[in-house]
Amino acid sequence: MTALPILEGRYAASMDFYPQQSKEFTRIWPFYEHLKQGRFTTTRCRACGRRSFPPRAICSNCYSEDMEWVDLPTRGKVLVLTEEVQGVPLGFEAPLIHALVDLQGEMTMFVRLVNCQPGEVREGDEVRLVVFPIPEVPQETRSGVIKQERVYYAFEPVR
Amino acid sequence: MERNVCLIAGGMSQWGVREASQRDLFQEAAKACFEDNPAVRPTDVDGLIVASAFTERCSFQTHLAPLVAEQLGIRPRSVCARVELLCASGSSALIMAYGLIKSGAADVVMVAGGEKLYMPQRWEVFYSELGTADREWDGAQGLGLPPPIFAMVAKQHMKLYGTTEEQMALVAVKNRRNGVNNPRGQFRQPIDLETALNARPIVSPLKLYDCCPVTDGAAAVILACEEKARDLTDRPLVYVRGTGQATLHNMSANQPNWTTWEALRIAAQMAYKRAGVKPADIDVAQTHDCFTISEIIEYEDLGFCEKGEGGWFVQEGKSDFGGQVAVNTDGGLLSCGHPFGGTGLRQAIEIMKQLQGRAARQVEGARFGLTHNLSGPAAAHTVIIYGRDKS
Ligand SMILES: [Zn+2]
Repeated sequence: MTALPILEGRYAASMDFYPQQSKEFTRIWPFYEHLKQGRFTTTRCRACGRRSFPPRAICSNCYSEDMEWVDLPTRGKVLVLTEEVQGVPLGFEAPLIHALVDLQGEMTMFVRLVNCQPGEVREGDEVRLVVFPIPEVPQETRSGVIKQERVYYAFEPVR
Repeated sequence: MERNVCLIAGGMSQWGVREASQRDLFQEAAKACFEDNPAVRPTDVDGLIVASAFTERCSFQTHLAPLVAEQLGIRPRSVCARVELLCASGSSALIMAYGLIKSGAADVVMVAGGEKLYMPQRWEVFYSELGTADREWDGAQGLGLPPPIFAMVAKQHMKLYGTTEEQMALVAVKNRRNGVNNPRGQFRQPIDLETALNARPIVSPLKLYDCCPVTDGAAAVILACEEKARDLTDRPLVYVRGTGQATLHNMSANQPNWTTWEALRIAAQMAYKRAGVKPADIDVAQTHDCFTISEIIEYEDLGFCEKGEGGWFVQEGKSDFGGQVAVNTDGGLLSCGHPFGGTGLRQAIEIMKQLQGRAARQVEGARFGLTHNLSGPAAAHTVIIYGRDKS
């Protein structure tokens, strides 16, 4: 950050693409706590039964706030995949492998495939959730600076 | 009482890699717009809507509409605001200006849109694009830059309907050929099929010429109620006949099908109904060819052909001059480039010129024109239909 020497290495949230995960900053913080235990979860509304992804604090169907956490499958099947070789965003390395994954019929989502080489994974292959640490960040709260330990997820091939 | 609304002027800055700031680009576009119709003076304009998506990120500037008004010598007294819908910012702003004029809340409104995307460090724009998907969930997976999304769409369309890489390349060849006539576009060199097919890969199956480039640029148009339009132009009047806008499924996990854009179908049906026309009536269209596969799906979901036949539609020349409907006659995003907030307005300018019979390459006798603009992971779609006659 040569343009802003005044930052002295301090964290600038606008340059961080991972979400803030602590209870001080998001009402869906249990998702990240579950992730640390290897659980892939989301919310289901107790009032109307609607399950959503991403998880929510308020149901988009009936606006109830009575939500419960439910587990999602952590294994899925690759429907389509592609490798991005040009213009990969900062923080990712080329080739960046994107896959459209079917989570046992419950959900289809775009995910990043890690721990594999280009050409190694094919359509129809099985992949599983993998949780990894990302840099922790200091955050200034009313009760002082907290250190936020963070994780995120991707998928990897089942070998 | 609802009023008729006409498009009476339009102009663009030079588009491409520009040695110019955001404010320079907006001034260039407005200058070209007023030069296009010298009867309109800045003081005739009572409203200004500015369309820009990355202004905070790439120009560190918010509160953009008042800044642009001052730059352009416009003194808004009916509306002054900015509209942001990423790649569809320009067409969304145009729909809002149309609604205000139609209702009587404004009489003469300039819609100006554009982006400054080339930064001192090139990675900045790609990095910022991570925020164009649902950043916490798709963005953090590295999704947000459009190529991987549309590459996946292409792969599925190929699998389901047998669309070929050659058919996609033909979209690029056609639009590059059309772009030769557009002096304000980013690229004016035609390419042949072999060049397109052998270009370097970006995200399989998309290669270099399947993707629109990063572009600096701006465009501006002026809309007026019919009464004012008659005072302010001697050219044939171009009426906004109908608009439609629909949004569904911004988050990848909620998108049920990537090869049929349900929101586009809804927006198109609404626009056709309000305009009182059918897909077969459209003579000329500017669609959102951010990628070659996009234009193929747009033929289908706009009703120009059946689902799955988009690849054949271009291969048989039905989207070219002399075909069923000439698509992207000014070169489209693939030739002109894509400064997000400017694209929907660039499309409007080309349709206006086609319906007035003064396009660089004219579709003979064009009476109905259509624009389509999309944004995000094909989540939001805007369709506007123009006609030579009032409804
Ligand atoms: Zn509910």
